[in-house]
Amino acid sequence: MSKVYKQVPFAAIVKCPTKNNQSMVTGNWRYLRPVVDKATCTECKLCWISCPDATVDYSKDNGISFNLEFCKGCGICSNVCPVGAISRVPELDFDD
Amino acid sequence: MAVAELIKSIAQAPEKEYYLPGHRSCAGCGPALAYRLIAKASGKNTIFIGPTGCMYVANTSYACGPWAVPWTHAQITNGGAIASGIEVAFKMMMKKGKIKDEFPNIIVMAGDGGAVDIGLQAASAMMYREHDVLFVMYDNESYANTGIQVSPMTPYGATTMFTPAGPEIPEAKKFFPKDPMAIFCGGGHPAVKYGATASVSYPVDLMNKVRKGLAQEGPAFLHVHCPCPKGWTFPAERTVELGKLAVECGMWFMYEIENNVKKWNYMPKKLKPVEEYLKTQQRFAHLQPEHIAKMQAWINERAQFLGMEVPLPPAK
Amino acid sequence: MPIKKRGTGLTAVADAWQLADIDVTASYPIRPYTAVMAEVSKRIANGQMKCEMVHGEGEHAQFSIAHGASMAGARATTGTSGVGVTYAFETFSPIAGGRCPIQALIGDRTLDPPGDFGSEHTDVLTMRDNGWIYGWAQDAQESLDNSLMYFRIGEDPEIMLPQVVAMDGYFVTHISQDYVMPDQEQVDKFLPKFKPQFRLDVNNPVIMGPQIEPEMGPPLEWDRNVVMDKVKALIPKVTAEFEKVFGRKYAPFVEEYMTDDADMVFVISGAHAVPCRSAIQYLRKAGYKVGMCRLRWIRPFPDTALQEILPKFKVVGVIDTNTSYGAAGGGGVLLVETRASLSETKNKPIIQGFTSGLGGETITHEDFFKMADMMKQTMEAGKIIQSATWVNFNDYDKAAIEVKNAWEQAPSKK
Repeated sequence: MSKVYKQVPFAAIVKCPTKNNQSMVTGNWRYLRPVVDKATCTECKLCWISCPDATVDYSKDNGISFNLEFCKGCGICSNVCPVGAISRVPELDFDD
Repeated sequence: MAVAELIKSIAQAPEKEYYLPGHRSCAGCGPALAYRLIAKASGKNTIFIGPTGCMYVANTSYACGPWAVPWTHAQITNGGAIASGIEVAFKMMMKKGKIKDEFPNIIVMAGDGGAVDIGLQAASAMMYREHDVLFVMYDNESYANTGIQVSPMTPYGATTMFTPAGPEIPEAKKFFPKDPMAIFCGGGHPAVKYGATASVSYPVDLMNKVRKGLAQEGPAFLHVHCPCPKGWTFPAERTVELGKLAVECGMWFMYEIENNVKKWNYMPKKLKPVEEYLKTQQRFAHLQPEHIAKMQAWINERAQFLGMEVPLPPAK
Repeated sequence: MPIKKRGTGLTAVADAWQLADIDVTASYPIRPYTAVMAEVSKRIANGQMKCEMVHGEGEHAQFSIAHGASMAGARATTGTSGVGVTYAFETFSPIAGGRCPIQALIGDRTLDPPGDFGSEHTDVLTMRDNGWIYGWAQDAQESLDNSLMYFRIGEDPEIMLPQVVAMDGYFVTHISQDYVMPDQEQVDKFLPKFKPQFRLDVNNPVIMGPQIEPEMGPPLEWDRNVVMDKVKALIPKVTAEFEKVFGRKYAPFVEEYMTDDADMVFVISGAHAVPCRSAIQYLRKAGYKVGMCRLRWIRPFPDTALQEILPKFKVVGVIDTNTSYGAAGGGGVLLVETRASLSETKNKPIIQGFTSGLGGETITHEDFFKMADMMKQTMEAGKIIQSATWVNFNDYDKAAIEVKNAWEQAPSKK
């Protein structure tokens, strides 16, 4: 039986992503999900700047939120938060 | 020389990401955070050169990558040489009118090995030849990608795959690390007019140093401390915390050298005993009091050598 | 107007690089190729060439610098000799696999140990598995012409492979000879500007050389295999085009000399073909019906061409000016590749090997006469007598046999 190989681009040169790298989705690594208490959060953005995966989002309207498609659950955000606004909740506690 | 646009706070940090979500680096990876901050500071007009290491293999697995800007692999041996070729190509093609590009920021992201071990020759030659390149060394204190083996940046007393502790070698790692700032910015490479240490735990400082390095004419060097949860064996959430603790204990110093003048960016009011740092990481768990004393003595010596006039813990 | 010049293979390639308007070259000194970089640096200094010369810190760096420049979209060259080739070895597969069509001039040189400045082909032959394309030039003119043809073939959008302009150390790098330097107009007609499909460009950002999973490897390697056949198809076209533009005709793969009525031929590569031809003249006068087949390409190896040409003859003597210790048949690389090319061919000739010219020695007429004598004995025997002969070491030519017999008969031995 013959094996069919995937198409690989010329010299393995690939286009850069623009929003995120869909070829390495990492949200399923997580077993603890970050949850922010917006009442406590001062929007200092320390969590946002300290995330190696750029999965802490910040907007003026929405404050701090998390990109759950990619968040690995490392917990740095929770650890650096000066006011303890981020807790880490087991993934199994959520329905989604 | 261009003018570096410096920021004063996290609030002023640019929002645009050039190191996007979606890479296979460990959860809590220090070098990945460094990459993100460096890419953020450098912006769109940037080309990265990635010698083999964690920031190559983990990031590009498989046939992909998280960079929104052009990126090329280099061998672990030749980051500096590949960057040199890219730099002169741009300059010559622009001069001859073959391309209409603006001269890009060219940044090498080399690990310990790619910068001061197997890649040392290429880095040194690039800096001697005065190429307009920012050479960044992301220091996670080991050859991490291959499973945590000893490198010239591994601290004295640290366990790695090639330096296990045992009755014959109770301290595990016998040698003290190299000093890349002294190598590249200590006068041996006169064309390097800007060099600095930095840490992922001090993001504003790091981003400013990237911009200063890029604005500098000719080669610049950044030595970035990147705690590594897997290699140093600590819980992933403590990456940024331990980077700060390293500075408080004298396991990392924060200074820059611009036109041969040293300037401290942050100096703790006094150094905490190194034990406080060592006990946070399993790689030091085997150390006996005499090893810790030796470590403390070395830190004190380094601190004094670098000009830190603060109270130092006793090396009993 | 084309100019008549007196120079060497090195100045000839400097001329070719000047005409090709290279953007970047990387230098490092090692005998015997160094003078090409000296020549280029002179031309840069006096404005004749608009090119950046990067003084690499070693040969590994030279190839890396040229690689980086090529990824940025520049036409880049470099060069080296001997152990410089083996030191740079790590870079060869990344460059060829990265499909960066840089050009290297290699003035071949015996590998250490010990130090020996003389010519041998072994250094460049160590590159033969890595996907570069190359062949040996026999003189300065062919060095220049090969350089131009290799740019044309290597940079073809269907090909995109790095090339080596190989030449014998001293014999081609240093002996002063006459050649013609084409004019710029001719070259511009023949060689298009280098415009790669991918380059490092912030307006079209790409990631070059990512880590792949194992099953992505074979398709990429298959591509590199397929492209070698495309090179073979392109070589005759480009060689013919070259003749049209420059007026110099080359056999695309194998140059045949006095083979029409030959019953035995030397298969050879590089500058030793020159004394080979004159030796053949003498041999012919002595009644040997001998000819020469000079390989103009080593990679891709002209197996198809040899399958067509060599069955015309009874005996083929492959001359290897290289070593491949422990190789099948006890000779060098060309012996193995020639035998492999003809292994399934009907009516294939008897193929034997001669190792000669090592260490930079000239292959003398006398050496060629000995080889011809041995080939004649093979022909008369109708089968192989000795698979591979190191000339002057384990010859079985008549003179050597006579001497051996005389020695064994000598009274002093009894």
